[in-house]
Amino acid sequence: MITAKTASRREFTKTLGMAGVVGLSSSLFPRWMPRMAFRPKRQSAPGDVLVVIFQRGGMDGLNVVVPFGEGADYYDRRPTIAIPEPDGSDRTALDLNGFFGLHPALKPLHDVYQAGQLAVIHAAGSPDPSRSHFDAMEFMERGTPGEKTTLSGWVNRHLQSSAWLNDSPFRAIGMGTMLPSSLHGTVSALSLQSIADFHLSGRDDQLAVVQRTLASLYSVAAPEDALGIQAAEVFASSEVLIRLGQAGYTPQYDAAYPDSDFGRGLQQIAQLIKAGVGLEVACVDIGGWDTHEDEGGVDGYLALNLSDLGQGLGAFYTDMQDYMANITVVTMSEFGRRVDENASGGTDHGHGNCMFVMGGGVNGGVHVDWPSLQQDALDDGDVAITTDYRDVLSEILMKRVMNPAIDQIFPNYAPNDRGIVGAR
Amino acid sequence: MTVTQISRRNFIKLSSLAAASIGMGKTIQWAGVRPVYAAELSPELHLLNRVTWGIRPQDIIRIQEMGLEGYLDWQLNPEVIDDPAIDEFLTQYPVLTYSRQQLRDTAAIDYSLVHDPALWNRVYRAIYSERQLFELMVEFWTDHLNVPIADLLSEKVMDDREVIRKHALGKFRDLLFASAQSPAMLLYLNNDTNDKEHPNENYAREVMELHTLGVDGGYTEQDVKALARILTGWTVSSDGEFTFSHDMHDDGEKTFLGVTFPAGRGIEDGLQALDMLATHPSTARYVSQKLCRRFVSDAPPESLIESATQVFLMSEGDLRQVMRHILTSAEFNAAPNQKFRRPLDVIVAIFRVLRDGIQIQDSSIPVWWFLEPMGQVPYYWHPPNGYPDAAGAWMNTNGLLNRWNAAMLIPLAAEGWYEGMQLDLGVFGPAPATVGELVDRVVQLVLASNIDSADREQVIYYLSDYGDPNQPVTEGLLQERLTSLLGILMASPYFQWH
Repeated sequence: MITAKTASRREFTKTLGMAGVVGLSSSLFPRWMPRMAFRPKRQSAPGDVLVVIFQRGGMDGLNVVVPFGEGADYYDRRPTIAIPEPDGSDRTALDLNGFFGLHPALKPLHDVYQAGQLAVIHAAGSPDPSRSHFDAMEFMERGTPGEKTTLSGWVNRHLQSSAWLNDSPFRAIGMGTMLPSSLHGTVSALSLQSIADFHLSGRDDQLAVVQRTLASLYSVAAPEDALGIQAAEVFASSEVLIRLGQAGYTPQYDAAYPDSDFGRGLQQIAQLIKAGVGLEVACVDIGGWDTHEDEGGVDGYLALNLSDLGQGLGAFYTDMQDYMANITVVTMSEFGRRVDENASGGTDHGHGNCMFVMGGGVNGGVHVDWPSLQQDALDDGDVAITTDYRDVLSEILMKRVMNPAIDQIFPNYAPNDRGIVGAR
Repeated sequence: MTVTQISRRNFIKLSSLAAASIGMGKTIQWAGVRPVYAAELSPELHLLNRVTWGIRPQDIIRIQEMGLEGYLDWQLNPEVIDDPAIDEFLTQYPVLTYSRQQLRDTAAIDYSLVHDPALWNRVYRAIYSERQLFELMVEFWTDHLNVPIADLLSEKVMDDREVIRKHALGKFRDLLFASAQSPAMLLYLNNDTNDKEHPNENYAREVMELHTLGVDGGYTEQDVKALARILTGWTVSSDGEFTFSHDMHDDGEKTFLGVTFPAGRGIEDGLQALDMLATHPSTARYVSQKLCRRFVSDAPPESLIESATQVFLMSEGDLRQVMRHILTSAEFNAAPNQKFRRPLDVIVAIFRVLRDGIQIQDSSIPVWWFLEPMGQVPYYWHPPNGYPDAAGAWMNTNGLLNRWNAAMLIPLAAEGWYEGMQLDLGVFGPAPATVGELVDRVVQLVLASNIDSADREQVIYYLSDYGDPNQPVTEGLLQERLTSLLGILMASPYFQWH
């Protein structure tokens, strides 16, 4: 066992700088180093905090937002995994509008729907026909379907093109060990797995001087390369994160996040939003949607994954209810799945899918231009796409996040206003 | 501590890397990717950097004795390399040599009896095997033919032994066929349940997209559907072996990549299709390109990809010849220190630095304490594409902080911080007389080359009162700062590149 000797016993003499700017304590940097984080380049963002959830693997939207109104065109093609029509119980779809219903494992989201703060979009997605996970994810996250030469992600281009300044190291965060492609680009984003563990470790008596030496070796005062920029971000963010880690976090209103990577990710986003550290966009992934086999119906593999999704979003909604007027959460997945169940009790890669948008500014309800599941309405056997996912994101960016520069975020795309969110 | 002045440093900047797209198009600005002392790195050290998991003084002696080409040929023929440390390891963990049935029986008693040695096997061999290039090839194919160990424990152990290790430096065709009949792969990508009534396309798609042609290799959605039908019946028997089921097989006529497969056939359908994939020019290019990316640079020169592709085609996918071509190319020689170490590379390299003095009884220390927070536990990547290769995927705040912490914490095994790991720094010889000499000695041990003089000054400042390199080394200084000195150098930017 490792004995616990960590940086946690250090004293922090510096409190937050002006307007919550991260303070670099003098113990971290030699005196000759410029205090870069004190440059007054912080304006508060005018719009919502954006939380972007990517469901990796291709979620089976037809069993998540169930088109029970299709009757045989849905039920006959999914003999063992279909979700029954709503009967008011928790073993059938949860009715949304008499045609669509939520998978019963999404009960917490149904509550948000009934409170009018959940928009349900279906037959949505990226129009590129690729059924490759990796291409489809990259296309979606870069925001330019079909274009393999786009180097930056749509979230990063949003940050690049915003009219306001914010040099907080917490401006954009990806939860997990890797940054999602949507965050790649010239605006540096923080990847963060665990607030509690985000500190330099080693011998207590050496930590301060080790940090100074590393700061020097990485030239963090004036980073000269991509690695130096990351090092500077580590130093700039670690003071605040250590303080937050020590303070701990208790969700409000008895919100219970699931004990999963996704649940922990959302809880830490909640903590950072409440701490007022300058967070504008947070990305969090939830994996395990590639249900080629033993997908299950009301119970089973997909249901378990949906429980994690639903409980996580439900806990976030409960915990953040005092903040929800200024938060928009959006979910997406690289593609939906085939209408036909396969031989393994699962579904193969498809096309159109459902998305959720949750928040105080959402026009709650079902926003669907439904193409139907009749054979001639399908796209190569899959749900056709009638709502480009960029329509959903553009509306959020313009009306809620207050960035109108869609031509830079989604170049060569003219978005349609679907009335999914209201203006701030 | 007083720091008076920092001198301006000069950085070698390779214009070819400026703003280059790396891998999957990550766009951190690469203008400053800093090949540390690229100009001064000898061809021998550059080769050792890429065909070992971290240079040890013994490796330098060996390559000086054998010559660069002799050393490379030796490493390209792992079957002639004695590997006593690994022989000993396998007697310590006989589970790693069990049959499929023995593995299943053992895992049924206690999952960890198979799982923990399987993961430790990956890390241990990388640290201790003399067949260093072979272990790097194993790593490459483990990603290329990724099968996560979750739910497929005994199958993955068999897959590692019978597919990956058997063919890692053999013929690509043999590797592909072995993988296509590996229960681990068939179960992971659901081909075991692919039958004529409702084909399951999962394996059919990924074998073309990820294992052979590449996503732009010239196949269509119709080819995916056809290949799924062709591979119906390639399944796993109840005793866990590959088997072909005529009952599940769709023996109707199919058209795959423009070729008509006549009706009425059985397993020949799949064998023909795999043969077409193994010998397809797109496969040669896709695999060669990936090898160049792993062993040369994140954006390898087109000229090298092209010539490696030709070697691949002419040698009928002889991986030894392809690797020899890549590692002796001018393009390779021009690319020292351009690969960013992945987390497993970093952890293994740290242990190789300390190898002569370290004893690890508890494998959870490297695997779970250090690799897990960095996101590269062996066999824990779930999607079929394997852990990412290019720097952009790994160069982030979480990863960097955890690199620093691993570098600072592992040497503390010398101070009794761990129950399951000890380090005796005495094996590295008596300490030199002065601080400057001590820094140089540790720099050589950790980095196998020199560092920038301004950086050297900073490290000397860490050890001394006033930055005086002639300050005597005392026992007190060693006790207070030697482990952290090792840590600082292993946490330094130099150590992150190879």
